Amino acid sequence: MMRHEFPGLQQQVHGKPLVYLDNAATAQRPQAVLDAINNYYLKHNANIHRGVHSLSESATELYEQARNSLARLINAPSEKDLIFVRGCTEGVNLVAQTFVRSRVKAGDEILISHLEHHSNIVPWQILCEQTGAKLKVIPMNQQGELVLDDLDQLLNERTKFMSVVHVSNALGTINPVKKLIAAAHAKDIPVLIDGAQATPHIKVDVQDLDCDFYTVSGHKMYGPTGSGILYGKSEHLSAMPPYHGGGEMISKVTFESTVYNAVPAKFEAGTPNIAGGIGLGAAAEFMMTVGMDKIAERDQVLKVYAEQALSEVPGLRLVGTATNKSPVFSFVIDGIHAHDIGTIIDHHGVAIRTGHHCTMPIFQFYGLAGSCRASLAFYNTEQEVDVLVESLLKAKAMFQ
Amino acid sequence: MSELNKLYKKAVLAHNKNPHNYGKPETWTHHAEGLNAICGDLVEVYLTIADDRLVAVNFAGESCAIAMASASMMTELSTGLTLQDWQNRFNLFKQLMDPNNEQVSYDELGEVNTLITVKKFPSRIKSATLCWYAVDAAIKGQSSTTTE
Repeated sequence: MMRHEFPGLQQQVHGKPLVYLDNAATAQRPQAVLDAINNYYLKHNANIHRGVHSLSESATELYEQARNSLARLINAPSEKDLIFVRGCTEGVNLVAQTFVRSRVKAGDEILISHLEHHSNIVPWQILCEQTGAKLKVIPMNQQGELVLDDLDQLLNERTKFMSVVHVSNALGTINPVKKLIAAAHAKDIPVLIDGAQATPHIKVDVQDLDCDFYTVSGHKMYGPTGSGILYGKSEHLSAMPPYHGGGEMISKVTFESTVYNAVPAKFEAGTPNIAGGIGLGAAAEFMMTVGMDKIAERDQVLKVYAEQALSEVPGLRLVGTATNKSPVFSFVIDGIHAHDIGTIIDHHGVAIRTGHHCTMPIFQFYGLAGSCRASLAFYNTEQEVDVLVESLLKAKAMFQ
Repeated sequence: MSELNKLYKKAVLAHNKNPHNYGKPETWTHHAEGLNAICGDLVEVYLTIADDRLVAVNFAGESCAIAMASASMMTELSTGLTLQDWQNRFNLFKQLMDPNNEQVSYDELGEVNTLITVKKFPSRIKSATLCWYAVDAAIKGQSSTTTE
């Protein structure tokens, strides 16, 4: 599906056609994204928001159009609710150090889940060290699903914020975030949703979810690396203190004091990743043209096919078997370390990720050092899944 | 023979399947953990050092085949060596794993030379060297090390 639009997929590795199944680490980019980046550098290369000359004006327009595209992708009420960031990591850190830091004191609690990426754990641990707050964790079960039995106790009068991943990067689990947000809001607890792995796979509607903050990673959704979005409800963004100080985020500076710029500029200090933002906007337009419903539908077809195909590999154990999941498959094979599997199947052209996938607590739960992870995108094919399975069988044969 | 088959030579696969000097010994004088958390390699080394000599070298842990085979071969090579001789071999092994070094073997390294192909797989060099750095750390009295 739309495979021909992705030039990165049309290459060979070790003399074999590339089978790219490491999309959860970073996706390939469509030609439209590459063209948008190129177009900016070739024809509109100028700094934004500060020049009166033509190039600066057209560059600014492209950048702000990109913000509008992203707002439409996630159905934000206004593009002004979107802050360009380097990725979800920066988005989470920004919220932790501005919105949440000004609200917590010693003894308060921040609630996350066992399925978090390190980028949604460590910023909160840093905040806890700074403030004396405590980090609490929603537990998980063997299937890799969140256990919500004690949610009512976990969301208590000490809880000042909840930050939960929408789709697990390691296991593919799609969390019931709308339900979690409603439960937190019933107790006036604001919520951030880490959407790094959600936007490439499912239709995200921040107004329907009613989340307070939502993070988007550009390079996971076919956009450039170093690009991303933090969505925040406008009343929060207006009330929050700035994160970084510098140019662009001010409206007046004297040596005595500074008046901050309006949202979103208040949070966008310094010259941003202009080409990255424009490229990310092109990625959003590309996805809306393909259609998020079609992408989600194709993902589920691939998921069912791959689940069945992998289950037929003798000695292979899937790690994380949630009922509701995206086409992300963590697995281990008896007698072969993940690292060896990764090296061997790379020589058959198959790119997967091995290790702990920046989610060490998940693998501590399973008593594993790590896993192999095949993460699919809508442009992958059933034939590629077959190549994966064949290459795994070859790896097994080598180690017999 | 393909590069892949050269990497996973029979000797490497045999050491991985039946590693020598594997398992935590009852006694030891020096211990260190080598941990490459990102790729999931853990090598615990247990040394018995007497009169500046490695009387016993054992290891435990779970790792990829390259790290396991390297550790197995390293313990075989190291047992009985003086600390100075071990250090010399460690230096030679580092040279063997240097992608810019064209020499393909060193007499003093014996079977360890079979790991030569590892240097053509840059992401795996850290697996092969982990056990050596762990022994080095243990000798120096450090409790842990990493090659990531």
